[in-house]
Amino acid sequence: MSTTPASQATAGAASAAPVGSSGGGSGLHLDGVYRVFPGGVVAVEDVNLHIANGEYVVFLGPSGCGKTTTLRMIGGHDEPSQGTISLDGEILNGVTPAKRPVTTVFQHFALFPHRNVLQNVAFGLKMRGIGKVEREKQARDAIDLVGLGQMANRKPRELSSGQQQRVALSRVLVTRPKAILLDEPFGDLDRLLQLRMRVELRALQRDLGITFIHVTHNQEEALSMADRIVVMDDGRLQQVGTPTDLARHPKNVFVAKFMGDNNTIRGPVVESRDGVVTVQGKLLRGAVRGDLPVGQETAMTIRASAVQVSTSPEAAAVNAGRARLNFAEYLGDSVKLHLDVQGEPFLAKVDEARYAEIRAFEGQDVTVSWNLEDGQLLEL
Amino acid sequence: MEAAEAMLGDATMSGAVLATTGPRRSGWVTLGWAGPGALWLLVFLIAPVTMIVLASFWTKTNTGFDAFKWTFSNYGRLFDTVVYREVLVDTLKNAFIVLVLCLLIAYPVAYFLAVCIKSIRLQIALFIVVLAPFWTAYVIRIIAWYPILGRQGAINYGLEKLGIISAPLDFLLFSNFAVVLALVQLYVLFMVTPIFFQLATIDQSAVEAARDLGASPYKVFREVILPLSLPGVLIGCIFVFVLVMGEFATVQIIGGNQIQSVGTIVRSYYTNIDLPAAAAGSSILVAVMMIGVAVLLRFAKLREAV
Repeated sequence: MSTTPASQATAGAASAAPVGSSGGGSGLHLDGVYRVFPGGVVAVEDVNLHIANGEYVVFLGPSGCGKTTTLRMIGGHDEPSQGTISLDGEILNGVTPAKRPVTTVFQHFALFPHRNVLQNVAFGLKMRGIGKVEREKQARDAIDLVGLGQMANRKPRELSSGQQQRVALSRVLVTRPKAILLDEPFGDLDRLLQLRMRVELRALQRDLGITFIHVTHNQEEALSMADRIVVMDDGRLQQVGTPTDLARHPKNVFVAKFMGDNNTIRGPVVESRDGVVTVQGKLLRGAVRGDLPVGQETAMTIRASAVQVSTSPEAAAVNAGRARLNFAEYLGDSVKLHLDVQGEPFLAKVDEARYAEIRAFEGQDVTVSWNLEDGQLLEL
Repeated sequence: MEAAEAMLGDATMSGAVLATTGPRRSGWVTLGWAGPGALWLLVFLIAPVTMIVLASFWTKTNTGFDAFKWTFSNYGRLFDTVVYREVLVDTLKNAFIVLVLCLLIAYPVAYFLAVCIKSIRLQIALFIVVLAPFWTAYVIRIIAWYPILGRQGAINYGLEKLGIISAPLDFLLFSNFAVVLALVQLYVLFMVTPIFFQLATIDQSAVEAARDLGASPYKVFREVILPLSLPGVLIGCIFVFVLVMGEFATVQIIGGNQIQSVGTIVRSYYTNIDLPAAAAGSSILVAVMMIGVAVLLRFAKLREAV
């Protein structure tokens, strides 16, 4: 074992040479990572990312966007076709999953069905050659940590899915990895349990201070848990930012649409004056702060919750117009308005207290408007 | 730790999960589903076995048997002859050898098909190739050994031509070697198939998880794949054991008159119109098979507990 880090370092130095110093510092670095599957499908394209130690990062994107492939490459279950992955300066390319200081919590937990909870959790320690007494003691501590002390002798099939997930988690924690990779960790849980596990997992991560890298297609989950969100589509990073960045300032059309509850207007600039451009969509038109020449193709977005809705016909301001209210969707703490501007859908979100007032206007026209400051330009 | 305390709340849930059962069906519906199978077993298994056991207590007469005179003498007659006892032991020994050989051949084949081959199409194609011997008739598969193993068969002819031997090898055919060879060839598929299907059901992510947690390829096999494939191995062993124990046709054709099994002895009693002795011989065979299967099951239980 003692020779392994040295041989890894030399192997690393050789392959790190083209990327220069970027393989250096602490934390996880992905430098120019590509994954091209046999047959030419490009699953991951030019991913450059730095994840600091102790950070909770969520990879978010639709299925097939490359997020799971990226996670598998970090875990060693897949290898980049090009580019390097390094952790605390140590190149991980070519290192087997067994030797990587990162461990994965698999999508459907992947517990060993023939082993009980204690044996499942102790497995990683057993593989490291730790004696039975010591490994069972450590495993018991890890099981206690996730509150399954009484379940130590149960087989996985005798546990609920929430408990199975905790076993999967403690099986990984007990090996003290530098980073934990979670592939759709809540996919098998019902909604209430998901909501609770989000809080518990986040609390656990804060307590342990270990890097968590979590893959999901659920925007709400990503926003609620991440220090930083990495949005992927089509194999590429679309935007990397804090949850508030993502929610308030989507960078491009894909992110604005994918994060949901954003209205996107796409089309040419028809007017540009005093740092305000007007974008003409198919039917909608919006003004937004920016400086673009007339005629340039662009896009802008406005959050549904920034849209003001009035049931009284008002004089038109800069960004105002009449829209037909098709359906007022009650969400408990807010009301989502499904509007229609001459056939083009438009969303607005208002406070729950206005439900009765708004609902009375279903099938009728209402006035929608937003402040110039709330709109923003997007990359295409 | 707050997280841990919050998690404790979930600990009681498993009880509820365990207690959950499917919707209750009316008894008639259940009977309707179970009925045909039960009837089948009754008519084709329980009734004939009962008849044979009963017949083993009938008294042999010069013209056949007397079904109204009960006796234990048939069992006594069998055990008084050294032949039956010896043949019973030989049959068990052969069954064990065939079982082990089948396992040694079948496991790597099944492992290769189910684990090493990643494409499902190729898996199915190769599995069909493995099944190819089944496309020929049973008797043909046995008799096909004659031109290979016989005194003037391919092997002897080849060895003589090469000058390795001067006289044909006699042990190749009409010998226990030939019987074991033929039985392995006949029944190895009954071992490959259940192991293949069992291996194919193993969750690949469990294998990946093992690797991820630091298991070497050998440990992945020893700790995950092998234990999870044991149910298939067990089913294969039961198949092969039961089938080989009851064999008489293969033994007779390929073993000639040199080799006997319990099956051939029962058959010879039967052709000599000694039905009670044949029944007694069969009953003992059934009992031995049941004990053998029980031992196999017990063995599997022990392995699971490790």
